[in-house]
Amino acid sequence: MLGTDAFAGLAEAAAASLGMPHLQLAAVAHPIGGIDPKLVRAKAETVVDRVLEALTRDPSPPLAASVATVCAVAAPGDLDAFQDFAVAEGWSDGLPVLPPTEERVGRILGRLAGDRTEVIATLVPRQGVATLEAIAVNAALAGALPEHLPVVVAAIRALADPRFNLNAIQTTTHPCTPLLIVNGPIAARLGINAGANALGQGHRANAVIGRAVRLTLQNVGGARPGREDRATLGHPGKYSYCVAEHEAASPWAPLHVERGFRAAESCVTVCGAEAPHNVNDHGSTTAEALLFAIAGTAATTGSNNIYLGGEPLVVLGPEHAQTFATGGWSKADVKRAIWERARVRLDRFSPENRERFAVIDPARFGDRLLADEVALCASPDDLMVIVAGGPGKHSAIIPTFGATRSVTVRIEE
Amino acid sequence: MSRLSVLSPLGTAAGGIKPLARRRGSLRGLRIGILDNSKPNAEVLLGRVAELLVERAGAGPIALWRKPGASHPATVIDEVVASSDVVLTGSAD
Repeated sequence: MLGTDAFAGLAEAAAASLGMPHLQLAAVAHPIGGIDPKLVRAKAETVVDRVLEALTRDPSPPLAASVATVCAVAAPGDLDAFQDFAVAEGWSDGLPVLPPTEERVGRILGRLAGDRTEVIATLVPRQGVATLEAIAVNAALAGALPEHLPVVVAAIRALADPRFNLNAIQTTTHPCTPLLIVNGPIAARLGINAGANALGQGHRANAVIGRAVRLTLQNVGGARPGREDRATLGHPGKYSYCVAEHEAASPWAPLHVERGFRAAESCVTVCGAEAPHNVNDHGSTTAEALLFAIAGTAATTGSNNIYLGGEPLVVLGPEHAQTFATGGWSKADVKRAIWERARVRLDRFSPENRERFAVIDPARFGDRLLADEVALCASPDDLMVIVAGGPGKHSAIIPTFGATRSVTVRIEE
Repeated sequence: MSRLSVLSPLGTAAGGIKPLARRRGSLRGLRIGILDNSKPNAEVLLGRVAELLVERAGAGPIALWRKPGASHPATVIDEVVASSDVVLTGSAD
C-alpha cells in the first residue's frame, strides 16, 4: 500500500479495520495530486526501497487487536474536569458533553434497555459495533433525551445502508457530513424545527439529535477529526446537522411520501451533505424568474455533484416554494426546470479537470465541445427538493459528496 | 477530586487479524499488478515505482487496473489477484 505521509494514519486505520494492521505502508511526502507528474515520478525514487522490502519480507505478526467495549470507566466527577477528560479520550466534539453515566444511559434506553446489545449497524472505518447501548451512550454525551433515541437509531441504520457509502463520507477530504431530514408526525412531537432558522441554532431536538449521530460516527465509527476523518476544511454542520421538512408550508408531497412512505409515518433521510449555500431572491415574482437565482447558485464548477453525480438538495423557503406553486408547478416541474437551467459550460473547467472528469464520467464529459454544457447532476430525478424555513425570500442549495445516495428509513417508536 | 463512573462511547470493534500472503524472497520475474484508485497522479506514482522494481529487482511484467472512482471498492479484485504475484495500490491525495 502506497500513500502520503499526511494520509498514513487513514491508510493504517483502513488496513487495521480489514484485519490487516500489519499490512506495510510506504509513504511519500504529501501531496501526490495536483502537482507536476515529474515531481511525482521523483517521489517514487524515495520510496522504492521500502516497497521492495515490503514485498519481499514478511511483516512482524501484529499484537492482539485492542478491543474497547461498552465498559464503565472512571472519570472526574467535576463537570469542568470531565470536559478535559472527554477531550483527552477523544470522545468529544469540542463542545461540552454530559457524562454518560449508567443511570443516564439507562434512562435514554428506557424500555429498550432489555435490547441494549442489539446490533443496529457496523460502522466504518473502524468496524465499530453500534449496539443500541453504544448509540445511547453517545446520545447521553450529546445531551439527548429518551424520546430522541429512535430518530438517532433510525439515522444510524440509514447511514449503514451500502448505498450511502459511509466509508467514503467518513474519511474523505470533502466537507460533507450526514444531514438528517425528518419527516412525519414525530418532527412536531419532538420539536424538531422546520420553521424560522431551520438549519440554524436554537432548538434542542435538532441540536442533540444531529450531534448524537455525529458523536456515534466519531466514536463508534472511528472517524476522528484529522486522523481517519481527513476533511480538508469540514463545515460547521459536522457538529450537528438535522432539520425537519416544513410539511405544512409545502405545496407538494413531502420527501418521505415521494419515496413511498405514508404521510402519517415518521421517517429520517440521511444525505452526505455540504453546508447550505444561500439563494437570495427578493425580487422575482414568478416561477420562471425565480429559476435564475436558484439555477445560478446551483451551477458551480467546484461541486462534487457535477462530475460524480449524486443528489444535490434544494431547500426551498416556503415563500419561494409558494411562488413556484402559484405558477402551477409541481415538484417534478421544479426539479426538471432547475436541472435544465443549472448548467456549466465546459470551458469554465480547467483543462486538467476536463480530462479527469472525462475519465470518471465519459458520458457527460467525454468528446464534448468547449461550448457544451453539463448539468449540476446526472438527471432531474436526482435532485432532491424539500421545503423548510420561516418567512423570507431565501432558499438554499446543498451539494452532496456525489458518490453517495440519500437513504430514507422509517423511525420505529 | 470526586470520581464518576461513566460508560465508554466507543463500543466494541468487529474484526480480528487476517494473515497476509507469504512474501517471496525476490521479485525476479514476478507479475506486478497496479490497482490505480483514480486519484490524480496515482498511476504516475504507482507506475514509476513498478518501473523501478523492474529495473532494480528484475520484476515484471506490469499490468494496470483502474477503479472508476476512489470512493468505491474495486470490483476487479479477483481478476487482479489471479493475474498478479504482487500488487501495488494506494490511499491518499
